[in-house]
Amino acid sequence: MNREDARVSNPLVLNFRAFIGRAYPRVIGAHRELSWIFFNTLLPLLSVAAYVFVYAALGAPAAFAGFVILGGTMVAFWMNVLWSMAAQLYWEKEIGNLQLYMMAPMSRMALLGGMAVGGMVMTSTRAAATLILGVLIFQIVLVVVNPLLLAGIFLVTLVALYGMGMLFASVYLLYGREAWNISNLLQEPVFLGAGFYFPVQSFQRILGGPGRWIAIGVSLIPMTLGLDAMRQLLFPELLEWAFLPADIELYILIVLAVVFVFLARRALAYIERLAKQEGRLTQRHL
Amino acid sequence: MKDAIRTKELTRVFGGKKRRLRPRDAPEKRVIALDRVDTQVAEGELFGLLGPNGAGKTTLIKILATLLLPTSGSATVAGYDVAKDPYPIRQRINMVSGGETSGYGLLTTRENIWMFSQFYGIPSKVAKAEIDRLLKEFELWERRDAKVRTLSTGERQKMNMVRGFVTDPDIIFLDEPTLGLDVSAARAIRQFIRGWIQENHAKTVLLTTHYMMEADELCDRIAIIDNGRILACDTPERLKGMVKREVTVKLETDRLKDPKAFDVIEGVQNYVVKEEAQTNRTSLTFILEDDAPIGDIMSEVLNQGSKVQSMEKIDPTLEEVFISLVGKGLD
Amino acid sequence: MAGTLILVFIYYVAAAAGGAAPPEMLAYIFVGSAFYMFVFQAFFGMFEVIQGDREWFQTIRYIYISPISYYAYIIGRGFTQMVVAGIGVLVVLAIGRGLLGIPIGFNLALLPFFLAVLVLGLFITIAIGVAIGGITFLTARHGGGMSEGIAGVFYVFTGVIFPLSVLPVWGQVFGQWIPLTYWFEALRRVLLERSPPQADAFLMAIPESTLLLILALSLIVVSLLSLAVFRYVEHLARKKGKIDMTTAY
Repeated sequence: MNREDARVSNPLVLNFRAFIGRAYPRVIGAHRELSWIFFNTLLPLLSVAAYVFVYAALGAPAAFAGFVILGGTMVAFWMNVLWSMAAQLYWEKEIGNLQLYMMAPMSRMALLGGMAVGGMVMTSTRAAATLILGVLIFQIVLVVVNPLLLAGIFLVTLVALYGMGMLFASVYLLYGREAWNISNLLQEPVFLGAGFYFPVQSFQRILGGPGRWIAIGVSLIPMTLGLDAMRQLLFPELLEWAFLPADIELYILIVLAVVFVFLARRALAYIERLAKQEGRLTQRHL
Repeated sequence: MKDAIRTKELTRVFGGKKRRLRPRDAPEKRVIALDRVDTQVAEGELFGLLGPNGAGKTTLIKILATLLLPTSGSATVAGYDVAKDPYPIRQRINMVSGGETSGYGLLTTRENIWMFSQFYGIPSKVAKAEIDRLLKEFELWERRDAKVRTLSTGERQKMNMVRGFVTDPDIIFLDEPTLGLDVSAARAIRQFIRGWIQENHAKTVLLTTHYMMEADELCDRIAIIDNGRILACDTPERLKGMVKREVTVKLETDRLKDPKAFDVIEGVQNYVVKEEAQTNRTSLTFILEDDAPIGDIMSEVLNQGSKVQSMEKIDPTLEEVFISLVGKGLD
Repeated sequence: MAGTLILVFIYYVAAAAGGAAPPEMLAYIFVGSAFYMFVFQAFFGMFEVIQGDREWFQTIRYIYISPISYYAYIIGRGFTQMVVAGIGVLVVLAIGRGLLGIPIGFNLALLPFFLAVLVLGLFITIAIGVAIGGITFLTARHGGGMSEGIAGVFYVFTGVIFPLSVLPVWGQVFGQWIPLTYWFEALRRVLLERSPPQADAFLMAIPESTLLLILALSLIVVSLLSLAVFRYVEHLARKKGKIDMTTAY
């Protein structure tokens, strides 16, 4: 091989290739083991269905079923961030990949970015399947008020969410084996806090003043405002349950996305330096 | 010739202060993994590191591969400081470790290597062609589309080798690359390493190994390391020459009439006689001050009307060098 | 607890949106959700044991080749999960009654019935959990999808948090064939002060003694099925070399 072919002087090209390289197994891997269709698409729909039936049993307006289906769709991304983003660097260390990644000339953000985008693409399939099946089975009526804003909110929510996952990935490295437990601990409370199955405004409506503060606090989880805004744009008849106007939520999400990605970058550099100093970056089972 | 690697007073201490990354239940202890190591490896050299477990070999490699920071002292790789300039170093190095389980089990051999090549920014087309060439060279071509998790240990290590060499590194760190492999897989890897460095004069290999024969066969120079210190560093021949010792000669003859007759020969320090009843032969092991008495020994055998069936002069081995320096063999 | 609180919020949202939400319905949901923790913990625990040992710690091969039966090993781990879940159930019920004022009671006259029901139900849950856990021998790691999904089947079709009558007819029939449907009904008999108007007439009509008999027979059938499924899956996994595979990507 020609030496010059191999060495890349342009860091943009290098990092783009690294990004694609890391995204590849995410995209291809999920589709190679076909058991995912069953486990990641059909079965999660059942949990979603349970909440739809609860609303039905309680005689709530039918549009709440749409709230649940949308929440259930976004659960796929939260689970992916939690299990395959946040816990991933620790996982890579256990497999023995991390030292090879850290030794390569690419930017670590290209690695995390590839992981994130690969995860998004893979998870979008699951999410789309949940959405389509949910809409068809429960005959949900979607009224797309502002498609452009909806698309923007969806994308920014994902960037912010995966940015948070990237930040968690570094933090998890600190906790080693406890990573699994952290993911377990975070999973359910976020289902509650981010309002996956009920509007986040209900914190305020049901709990009064303190509830408003809870709603503001959980808005730090990008999914909270993302879901709230998307619900406003898809189910306008339940607009009274909106927490903040959708465009304001978009601006907040943009800020969150920038902050999370920036913090992820800082945290990764910090952890890498710390780990290099203490020699635990590459040792397994520590 | 330029230095590919150079270390000055390189020291690495583990534990002892911060506990941020230490598991709660782990005892705090201070371990000096490398203790003021000075060494240099020239461009184009195949340099070996021999040492028992925990000697500091892997720590040294990790520092040179920019995975670990030195506690004090300095190290340069390809002219760049490992602590200050890791990025240009990373473009020029790669590493393969024995027993490595890197990659993703769901990817195929080719995909896995391709993924790693992308982390070095190699254009996909170039990488794929190089991967195919190397897979053929390692006789892994048939397994190119097999999923990584189905590869045998030997195949997996060959894949790791392809991963390490596909980026065409200037300096490659091979940490026990033949560990746990069968004879043929280990031989294929050794042949490749030797061939690679012969074809690429400016390339450098830093190899750690447990196998004396491997170090002796492959390395231009060898450093013997123990307790974080380099005890000796030279060519295998000179290292063996360091072991000042008597000459050992093994002799097998037809049965001798008087096996005690060698006592009087000047220069014979000691000898052991073993009569082989079944073959009707005598086996003698002489410890001599030097080569001079060999002629007199042969004459005495002939005088007794016997014939020499075989004679073997035993040269010092690296193992003996190692034992004499470290005080124990490799485990 | 978070899962139960989600349901509490759904209840209040539905009530605020003009739904039919008497307090008995909140108690119905709350008790079902609390005891469902046993089911979820058993399934998730089994998933965690096998996938964790296999992919995370990569110790499964050493446990598997040791002289203990792997079936017995994961049943043992299952019981540990039950103890953990049991503490959770008690805490949730105490919070529900004490802090949230949900009308949950305990019919002391039914104490022996309750104990028998609890033991039978837990054994049934573990037996099903082990069989489902065994299936993970054959599957790749896809996050938490596996346990989450299978537990979902039971969540929807056993009347845990809503009466079966809300389901389409085929769903109601399916639910009537799952032993845990009767377990949740039996538990509600002891713990609900009053039944909500939405409750299933079909289940309400079954006497306690019949519920016990159904659960006892179910335990026998489910245990045999569980052992058979586990053995078969284990055999397949060994045949296909999947016992100690790692499938990260």
